[in-house]
Amino acid sequence: MAKSTTPVVQTVGLCKTFKDFWRRPRVEAVKDLDLQIQPGEVFGLLGPNGSGKTTTIKMLLGLLYPTKGRISVFGKPPTDVAVKSRIGFLPEESYLYRFLVAHETLDYYGRLFRLPSRVRHERSDRLLDMVGLRHEAKRRIGEYSKGMARRIGLAQALINDPEFLILDEPTSGLDPIGARQIKDVIRELGKKGKTILLSSHILADVEDVCDRVTILYGGQQRAAGDISELLRKTDATQITAPALSADTIAQVRGLIQRLERKDIVEVSNPRVRLEDFFLRIVKEAQAANIRTFGALGGGAVPEFLTQVEESTTAEVVESLVASASRRVEPIPEQALPASRRESGPSKEVIEQLLGIPDAPEEVAPAMDNVPEQIPEESQAPRASVDADVEVIDELLGHADRKSEHRKEDQS
Amino acid sequence: MSNIWAVARHMIAEGIRMKIALVFLVLVGLVVLGLPFSIEGDSSLTGAIQSFLQYALSATAVLLGMLTIFMSRSLADELVNRQIYLVMTKPIARWKYVVGKWLGITTLNFTFLLCAGVTIYGMVHYVRWTHPPIDEVFDEAELENEVLVARHAVKCELPDFSRYADREFQQNVEQGLYDNVPEFNPANERARLSQKYEAKWRVVGPEEARVFEFENVLCERTRANQVQIRYKTDVTSYASDEIFRALWRVGNPGKGTPVYTIPVRQVVGRFHTVRVPGDAVAGDHTLTAYFLNSNPFQGEYKQRSVIEFRKSNEVELLFLVGSFEWNLVRLMTLMMCKLMFLAAVALLMTTVFSFPVACLASFTIYVLAGARSFILEALDFSSNDYGSMFSSVKEFVVQSFAHVYELAHWIIPNFGRYDAVETLVNGRNVSLVWVLQGIAELAMLKTLIVLGFAILLFHRREVAEVSV
Repeated sequence: MAKSTTPVVQTVGLCKTFKDFWRRPRVEAVKDLDLQIQPGEVFGLLGPNGSGKTTTIKMLLGLLYPTKGRISVFGKPPTDVAVKSRIGFLPEESYLYRFLVAHETLDYYGRLFRLPSRVRHERSDRLLDMVGLRHEAKRRIGEYSKGMARRIGLAQALINDPEFLILDEPTSGLDPIGARQIKDVIRELGKKGKTILLSSHILADVEDVCDRVTILYGGQQRAAGDISELLRKTDATQITAPALSADTIAQVRGLIQRLERKDIVEVSNPRVRLEDFFLRIVKEAQAANIRTFGALGGGAVPEFLTQVEESTTAEVVESLVASASRRVEPIPEQALPASRRESGPSKEVIEQLLGIPDAPEEVAPAMDNVPEQIPEESQAPRASVDADVEVIDELLGHADRKSEHRKEDQS
Repeated sequence: MSNIWAVARHMIAEGIRMKIALVFLVLVGLVVLGLPFSIEGDSSLTGAIQSFLQYALSATAVLLGMLTIFMSRSLADELVNRQIYLVMTKPIARWKYVVGKWLGITTLNFTFLLCAGVTIYGMVHYVRWTHPPIDEVFDEAELENEVLVARHAVKCELPDFSRYADREFQQNVEQGLYDNVPEFNPANERARLSQKYEAKWRVVGPEEARVFEFENVLCERTRANQVQIRYKTDVTSYASDEIFRALWRVGNPGKGTPVYTIPVRQVVGRFHTVRVPGDAVAGDHTLTAYFLNSNPFQGEYKQRSVIEFRKSNEVELLFLVGSFEWNLVRLMTLMMCKLMFLAAVALLMTTVFSFPVACLASFTIYVLAGARSFILEALDFSSNDYGSMFSSVKEFVVQSFAHVYELAHWIIPNFGRYDAVETLVNGRNVSLVWVLQGIAELAMLKTLIVLGFAILLFHRREVAEVSV
């Protein structure tokens, strides 16, 4: 069965004008927005404050009505009740009931989805595990910190195992653990074929997880496209290697000058990301059983979110097989990132550097080789990048240092 | 239905956890449990229980009305605090959400009304057992027969006064009494004569008798079952002890019933009840009672007072048709109908206005519905007041307001019409027909109309706010 090509979200000439008491137009929040989100896509909606991101999301959810233009979600109007059963929504703030405890909150939203009692309880428990709040499930939401409430917000957005997840500023108010966890969830769900719309002005988050983005400014679309295309820097080449001596660097500099008649712009030691560093410290503290009253690290994404439903099995299996086969395919040179490909003779430079006469044309990097300490889900969307790294590793003859390379690549 | 009930359950949880409902429950509890210790009544057992019932039931109705309006805050709060974003993005239709809220408020009201009813019933018996008796036998009998019962009332059949009026009118015409009367109106004259005969009939002079006929007395015609004649007498001259003496003879030997003679010695200017065995009612369900304005008590002074049975206090025949318990249930049902309507009104207001405005609007409608008769009377009175300088402008304003008010009352019901507290307190039957009318008008027709408006407005509104 062919994968559905009907867009999950489609807007045509979407406009939203807020009017004052006398019906005079006051603010044009969204102007002529054409948007398409395809099934299985992790789509980023970017823009500064007041650019119309949240207004667009509210229209997609039927909370606001468009002033002009058309809008469809799963091919139907966003106010259609049936459509809503396929959507999960995490708003920009946790608009939860202060008087309910976490478990009751999830149970209430589960009831609105008409989930059977057993399923509600099972999912609530698993989601609370996932967001690390199982031990606080009997406390009232009103007593929660902002971050803890955000985690419950995420859990409620997933209670129905949505096909389409809308996350508005999902990492705001969260500590780095929570932020990382949300990104991991997004990656995991994206990998399983869920469609995700992520609105944020934390660009690093979007860059980490999104396939495609649209940038809004003043309610209008200013840029749109694949994130790798948009961010590709074609005027520079970056080579990452283990620490080199000053002598080696000088030789490399000389070689590049000789072959390319260009100078190296910057030579520095790569840094570990602060997020990774922070998470390592917290993990150490958790390992030492230091007591905390807040959210715990959280568990894995519950199975029900990653299981493939019977009705869509064939479709999803097909897509997974296709993506898996893509992973084990040899990476053609054209598939290399622009930063490494478009600098022309870079391969020759590397060969000369290493003294390798005939570098292999095709290398098959196997995902099985990913070291255990790196979560698989965080690597999946970057399969092609990993492949690139492995090609270079092979070329450099340093395949045993893969994990460090991968981190550097991420940074 | 399941997600309507989910919203309703949530509403109930909110009411209880946010302590709004609990505060009102405590208030109702304090009123119901505290009143017996603070109300004296007229020092008789009947008076104490009637006062307790009157105040406890009225206070319960008012407090639950207020609770209903305050509970509607939930919807307004969800809009302001944006919790509605999470609810409206779930697969629940907007109408189901509004109906769920209404169902939640109604369920809470039902529960509280049930608690209040049970407590009031319990306290009635507590007062009955603990109130110091003046005359134990008399007190108990009065309570059993006149308060803790459900009695149906039949008013006496008045003679056809128009017949007498027509006869006199004809005589007067023949005598030419109206020949020189300017702008003579025969209909008005007939009505005047009819009123004169009625007024004459209502007055019973010393040693005179009057016959009262009652029809449709559908009671059990046995000696054990008692029927009651309830009347109030006004006398033209008071005896020194303010007591009037008279004699009732009840029954119609012509229809084969026994005749019971009941001498009475009663305080003037108050309502009194004479109990008669049920076999005095004839087979055609009629009862005949003779009232003799004569002192039947030997050795006491001869009565010279003129006794008047006023039109405003018509003589009634009361007979048992049900129990106090079921009467209380039916009264509570009528109260519930009002609360159901009020819940719909409060939700309608909160779908349009912020809570303070919605609260004020709901209270206004509550008051308008409760005081409808009074307001309409006041408007009528005002519209006839032509004495002032600005009478025409004033009349215009008042008439306009009256028309608007009448128009609004097409939707706003007359709560007074379904106020059964007085009826229950007087041991009258809160009839099933009355309750069914209340259910049909308040709980079904008008509640549905108002709820329909609320759903329509909520469906059309954007639940999110401007946030650019």
